Amino acid sequence: MSAHAAEQDHRPAGWRRWLLSTNHKDIGTLYLVLSVTAGVVGAAISFLIRAELQQPGMQFLENQEQFYNVLVTAHGVIMVFFVVMPALIGGFGNWFVPLMIGAPDMAFPRLNNISFWLLAAALVLLVASANIDQGPGTGWTVYPPLSTSGHPGAGVDFAILALHLAGASSVLGAINFITTILNMRAPNLTMMRLPLFVWSMLLTSLLLVLAIPILAGALTMLLTDRNFGTTFFNPAGGGDPVFYQHLFWFFGHPEVYIMILPAFGIVSHVVATFSRKPIFGHKGMIYAMMAIAVIGFMVWAHHMFTVGMNVTGRVYFTAATLVIAVPTGVKIFSWIATLWGGSIQLRVPLLWALGFIFLFTVGGVTGVVLANGGLSVALHDSYYVVAHFHYVLSLGAVFAMFAGFYYWIGKMTGRPYPEGLGRLHFWLTFIGVNLTFFPMHFMGLAGMQRRVPDYPDAFAGWNQVASTGAWISVASVLVFLVVLWRIFSARERVAANPWGEGATTLEWTVPSPAPFHTFTHQPVIEASPAPHWLNDGA
Amino acid sequence: MERQKALRRRKILTVAGTVTGIVAMIGVVAGAVPFYRWFCQASGYGGTPKRVPGLVSSGPKAAAPTLTVRFDANIGKDLPWSFTPAQGQTEVRPGESVLAVYIARNMASVPVTGTATFNVTPAKAGPYFNKIACFCFREQTLAPGEEVAMPVTFVVDPAIATDPTTSELTTLTLSYTFFRSPGSDAGS
Repeated sequence: MSAHAAEQDHRPAGWRRWLLSTNHKDIGTLYLVLSVTAGVVGAAISFLIRAELQQPGMQFLENQEQFYNVLVTAHGVIMVFFVVMPALIGGFGNWFVPLMIGAPDMAFPRLNNISFWLLAAALVLLVASANIDQGPGTGWTVYPPLSTSGHPGAGVDFAILALHLAGASSVLGAINFITTILNMRAPNLTMMRLPLFVWSMLLTSLLLVLAIPILAGALTMLLTDRNFGTTFFNPAGGGDPVFYQHLFWFFGHPEVYIMILPAFGIVSHVVATFSRKPIFGHKGMIYAMMAIAVIGFMVWAHHMFTVGMNVTGRVYFTAATLVIAVPTGVKIFSWIATLWGGSIQLRVPLLWALGFIFLFTVGGVTGVVLANGGLSVALHDSYYVVAHFHYVLSLGAVFAMFAGFYYWIGKMTGRPYPEGLGRLHFWLTFIGVNLTFFPMHFMGLAGMQRRVPDYPDAFAGWNQVASTGAWISVASVLVFLVVLWRIFSARERVAANPWGEGATTLEWTVPSPAPFHTFTHQPVIEASPAPHWLNDGA
Repeated sequence: MERQKALRRRKILTVAGTVTGIVAMIGVVAGAVPFYRWFCQASGYGGTPKRVPGLVSSGPKAAAPTLTVRFDANIGKDLPWSFTPAQGQTEVRPGESVLAVYIARNMASVPVTGTATFNVTPAKAGPYFNKIACFCFREQTLAPGEEVAMPVTFVVDPAIATDPTTSELTTLTLSYTFFRSPGSDAGS
């Protein structure tokens, strides 16, 4: 056994192990390291934004309004493409999809390597873009004409190429996940028996495959409009800037589900584990995610109610958007029903998952408000919108990332996390982000506009509260760094399954830390009875 | 071995299917360019007046109330022209074909080519604003100092008075913006 285990742990040494890695766990680790690094940068930028907005008038960006918008752009793009997606998809996806389906690795290990390093190159391009000419002050949406005639410098071209590379990385990763999940499952692990995290990764990958080419096309047109004299988005040559908005949001709305579906998957696992019950309504959860993925492609224009859409258009996009609340409600209901009557252990991962459910529901409620075309026209580009999408993404997706982090860190490193510091991290973050973002609802309703570094004195009070919340969040980031240090310096080791009978999926059957090679022989799953993570005999 | 081969074949099939999806979506985004243009012109969406060069006016509807049509003219910042409507506003009876004229003059010492974009506000009137003939249908080149009258013929569809979303309208604005044609380097 020991010789066998040693063989399983054979790995290349030094820099080759990482630069040339084809191992799904090492590549997952690389993605997580990139995500944490980019996350610290993205968070630092958001604290700069909050510092500027702490009081009315200009604090430290006097006559640098363009730079403020460069910060806003960098914050958005970094958080979406280099923090949330790498952590949830590249990080946890690479680590745990093969483990959960009993596969030895991803279907195309070398493609996996390319996916990661393309993303790393994209991050370099993006950071460079902020320092070239006047930088991209366009927002992450890169709307023309601001991004074309409004930004003659090459910074925007760099940002566009960064998004192109990040998109290529995502699409290659998606091909890998789809092929892995469809073809490399252990025998008797049928599609309807797949754990929910695997399902969420499959649907996210399908969304990526269908949405990223649209972004790539729109960005290519933007690039040729900027550099080669085409007029796709320029009325002078028969184009239309609104056309870009249609293309961008046809990608952009599925993109928000690309970010949140894996979060749904993680939360399902954490809630089930710490309730010591299989998830309530496994099939319903799968169908709800499918419905969200499909409807996600049919609602894009609710991001652009102000372009002069006719009544029929607004009615359709309002109604279609409201429909999304139904499958989302199914998921919230099922999580609560899983907790109901469960033998609940309130460990740190569950705290984050409960935080996710609460915050995502708040963000969902404001989403239902914003779905209404009539209201959205008034609230467009106000801080109400900023509050909404930070509740679902900054708080929702990030809380799920931390839930996954504390849930799986023992499996990934073999070391326990410090329970008390983990709790402190959770509560500081929970209080900090709520203080930051809840007042933004009031500011937005009162008319405060986003992407402007100043505001009338009337908004000073709530901005002060929001900035105070941001400083509490700074403390929580520092606590997280201490948590990381404590984990990696820990002498204790955790068991293969530290969570007990609630943790039923296959990653808990391999040792902790997971050996370099796992499931070189496919695990045996019985046709009957059903695996323990199911309760309905599927 | 046989199992390995079968797995390999399944993987190739999956990748082929996924790549087909990617290529199809690239096709969608490429096709979106002509589709969007066609859709806006055919439906009058977003205030795009409909182009109907062959339309024969059905004659004025005596019963329909008249509408005021205002004319607006703008020029892009790098076009050295003056551009103004020849008439202020016009009372129009839905169904009757109306001729309006804009005056354009090239102030530069070289020939300049321009293209006009156009729309109607409020945007919801777009589907009912039919253009039979318009200078904006193609590029216009003016010699140095040349002044020309540019005609536009249009018909307001009488159905504008029966559509509940547009029946309250009393005033429409037809707006043009002349841009220097991209790619025409004359005068630069």
